[in-house]
Amino acid sequence: MGGDRKEEEMIYGLTADERDALHEGLNSLPDTPPPRMLWERIREQAEAEGLLKKRRDFRSWYAGAGLAAAVVMAVMMIPQQPPVTQPDSGTTYVTPDATAAQDPASGLQQWMIRSAQLEQNLRALPETSVVRAGTAATIIELEDRIAAIDYQLSDPDARLTPAETEIFWRERVRLMESLVQLRYAQAQRTSM
Amino acid sequence: MADMSRFADIRIDDSIVKRAARGDVRAYEIIYRAFATPVYSLCLRFTKVPAHAEDLAQETFIEMMRSIAKFRGEAALGSWIRRIAVTKSLMFLRSAWTNRSRSFADDWDEMTPGDALSHGISRHPDDALDLDAALDSLPVVSRTVVWLHDVEGFTHKEIAKLMGKTESFSKSQLSRAYQRMKPLLEVKDEALEAAELRSC
Repeated sequence: MGGDRKEEEMIYGLTADERDALHEGLNSLPDTPPPRMLWERIREQAEAEGLLKKRRDFRSWYAGAGLAAAVVMAVMMIPQQPPVTQPDSGTTYVTPDATAAQDPASGLQQWMIRSAQLEQNLRALPETSVVRAGTAATIIELEDRIAAIDYQLSDPDARLTPAETEIFWRERVRLMESLVQLRYAQAQRTSM
Repeated sequence: MADMSRFADIRIDDSIVKRAARGDVRAYEIIYRAFATPVYSLCLRFTKVPAHAEDLAQETFIEMMRSIAKFRGEAALGSWIRRIAVTKSLMFLRSAWTNRSRSFADDWDEMTPGDALSHGISRHPDDALDLDAALDSLPVVSRTVVWLHDVEGFTHKEIAKLMGKTESFSKSQLSRAYQRMKPLLEVKDEALEAAELRSC
């Protein structure tokens, strides 16, 4: 090693300390970020060259899938509505609130309503172009998991039981809540 | 030589790379955001012209998108992207030189003695701008060799292959660059000694 360093000193005309100092200095030089519009240029060229997989806008995509799932759910729930009885038949009149307390489908309805609210919240958030790599990866992951759930919920061949359907909707709400929180934090960072 | 490059510090999850290989624009954007600054900085370091650096960074990422399906992960993604950026930049420099009917071999003859000093090595030894300016004042081929060797960690053999030259050419360029920048280091040494004397 010592011999190598001596030889290098002769070749380069710098002592080992001088070379170390130079290396350190060069590696400490600051980086220069590219102009902001560069990504847009790259994206446009990539689109023109057909390098991007056609991907529908996520918000409209999952909203559409969610809607389709909701329609399927509504159809599935109709037979499960408690029979409405006449007061003169001697049976108790069942109010919607009472149904909510007794019918397992009401939990499902609550998840569906909550899910729709979260979708509205998400659509109300501004679109941001600056995305941290870690955050973006998490968002993609969440979006894909929601999309997978929507696919299951809207697939007529899936033949889910009501209990399974409720599990899917509950999970969808949980993922949507995480997504809204992330998007909200992202929008706040961008506005600062 | 150990890889000291900025590229080596950036890690991208395999799942993102796989998404990119399927043409997922969000995955591309993640990779772009992670590597945009080191790629652009490298291109700017070689060309010194922001417009050229932008074009080269764009070409680098487009090439990444075209080829990532073939990326097998044998090397780190950062090393692979850096290799694309270096190749694009060298091709640009080579073509610029060719267009001007000049040789890519050696552009030291254009330098006047003392260019490096007059271009920025001031008597302010703690200022990183001095080194930056000194590097910028070197002939383009020499500057490229210094950056590839001392910052990106390429060996002389690798540099020779990239430039279509011999290892001796690479060593010679590095040696001449060091000689040009040596006054800066001497100034730093003097300043350090003076600081030590003052502190005694």
